[in-house]
Amino acid sequence: MPKVIYVGADGQEFAVDAVVGESVMATAVKNGVPGIIGECGGNASCATCHVWVREEFVAAVGEPNDMEEDLLDLAVSERRAGSRLSCQVAVSPELDGLTLDVPPVQP
Amino acid sequence: MLRQDINDLLTRTGPGTPMGELFRQYWMPACLAEELPEDDCPPVRLKLLSERLIAFRDSHGRYGLIDEFCAHRGASLWFGRNEEGGLRCPYHGWKYDVTGQCVEVPSEADNSSFCQNVKLTAYPLVKIGDVLWTYMGDPATQPPLPEFEFALVPPEQTYTSKRLQQCNWLQAFEGGIDSSHVTFLHSGGLQNDPLFKGAKGNEYNQNDKKPFFEVADSDGGLFVGARRNAEDGRYYWRITPWVMPCFTMVPPRGDHPIHGHFWIPIDDENCWAYSFDYHPVRALTAAERQAMIEGHGVHSENIPGTYRPVANRDNDYLMDREKQRTGEYYSGVKGIAIQDASLQESMGPIADRTKERLVPADAGIIKARQKLRKAAIALRDHGTTPPGVDPAHHRVRSAAVVLPHAEAFLDACREDVRVRPGMPIASV
Repeated sequence: MPKVIYVGADGQEFAVDAVVGESVMATAVKNGVPGIIGECGGNASCATCHVWVREEFVAAVGEPNDMEEDLLDLAVSERRAGSRLSCQVAVSPELDGLTLDVPPVQP
Repeated sequence: MLRQDINDLLTRTGPGTPMGELFRQYWMPACLAEELPEDDCPPVRLKLLSERLIAFRDSHGRYGLIDEFCAHRGASLWFGRNEEGGLRCPYHGWKYDVTGQCVEVPSEADNSSFCQNVKLTAYPLVKIGDVLWTYMGDPATQPPLPEFEFALVPPEQTYTSKRLQQCNWLQAFEGGIDSSHVTFLHSGGLQNDPLFKGAKGNEYNQNDKKPFFEVADSDGGLFVGARRNAEDGRYYWRITPWVMPCFTMVPPRGDHPIHGHFWIPIDDENCWAYSFDYHPVRALTAAERQAMIEGHGVHSENIPGTYRPVANRDNDYLMDREKQRTGEYYSGVKGIAIQDASLQESMGPIADRTKERLVPADAGIIKARQKLRKAAIALRDHGTTPPGVDPAHHRVRSAAVVLPHAEAFLDACREDVRVRPGMPIASV
């Protein structure tokens, strides 16, 4: 099983075993990772699952899609190069070890 | 959710603001032609984009839109005498023509040379259809006149009304691209309103309360497609065009006239809702026109002599809890226009979008905000002409069609969403 590592704003790490094909948002919610809410249920509508993907994984994770792009511009508190809505990122074997920072506040 | 700084950017339209400058790139309705019914009639006070202005029609039928206040000592020209080819301040007799040029200062000995140097801010005012249109931007970049179909069809085929809405323009406009509220808020109207009822599409509307949204870019803005289940293997699509910054058309129902809106900022906490109805291929019937005048459909019943609705926030929009209970009016408020206005005004003068919780049905709203933001910034930073300025972008129609599941709505409807003079609307 690939591992996903969520790093909270206070530095606390949550390393979680993830199911291939599930979203990084759903993985966090199922495992009780704080700071990722997923209010709209994974439809790229609310931006409450925003994460900053660590630089070394940005290329592997890929670019935001169209609607996600708009929400990153409009809704999140601080957009960075690695900003993604984690509901739009699917876990894959290639992403084993994926490390993300969770913002201190979600919209 | 919308960041506070972007909410401010999109909702403030006074002079010098990025959205204010964006609005000043377009021709937009300033008032109805009926407000200036004849030469030398009383002038009309207007506030547009937070600027206080006077509209008047001079002795020769020329329209003017000028600064409300006399250049002398700032008295309102609303008190002015509209006579002899100009508007004369009744304080000391200074007179202005439709270009804002002072043409007479009768109290001074050297009248002619002094007044040559006095000119008020003035904007063009042009009658097209039932509307007087203005352009408040730089004269050097004034675009060609607007070509919206409702204003270009013969007079017997079209009707336009307006009403004061006491909230920011953006929350009013956002209601115009949000099809999912129709099934709830306007459910009574779909069954009872003379300008809505009886269409096959209303059944699809009522039977599927969970529309799926697809949004596609257009040259002038967006097409927002709302998809509901129809018969086996088919979807009912309601397609709403938005032309930037604030023109929308409601998808049609049966052979009823087709309608739409402009939401024009008065200031940051008030707007004019212009509502039009037209039929592209036939005259409105006497019954249809009468229903519009009485405030049915998208129109409102206004306090006589004003454009303020009879049902307004001071009387709780004449809320009727019994009719809410029976479902005759889903919210208890009568009339489609006032149902919208009541809820949009209840969101506050400027909705606090940092607290909202958007869902997939709000896709059109998210897309529209992003387009407005990008256009305002591109104009501010690079002088880029925004979408919707080119009159070719105005020639759009809404549509309501039933399509097989496999068909993409815009591919199937490209012709239907274009103005085709003499051709009917695509409607079920």
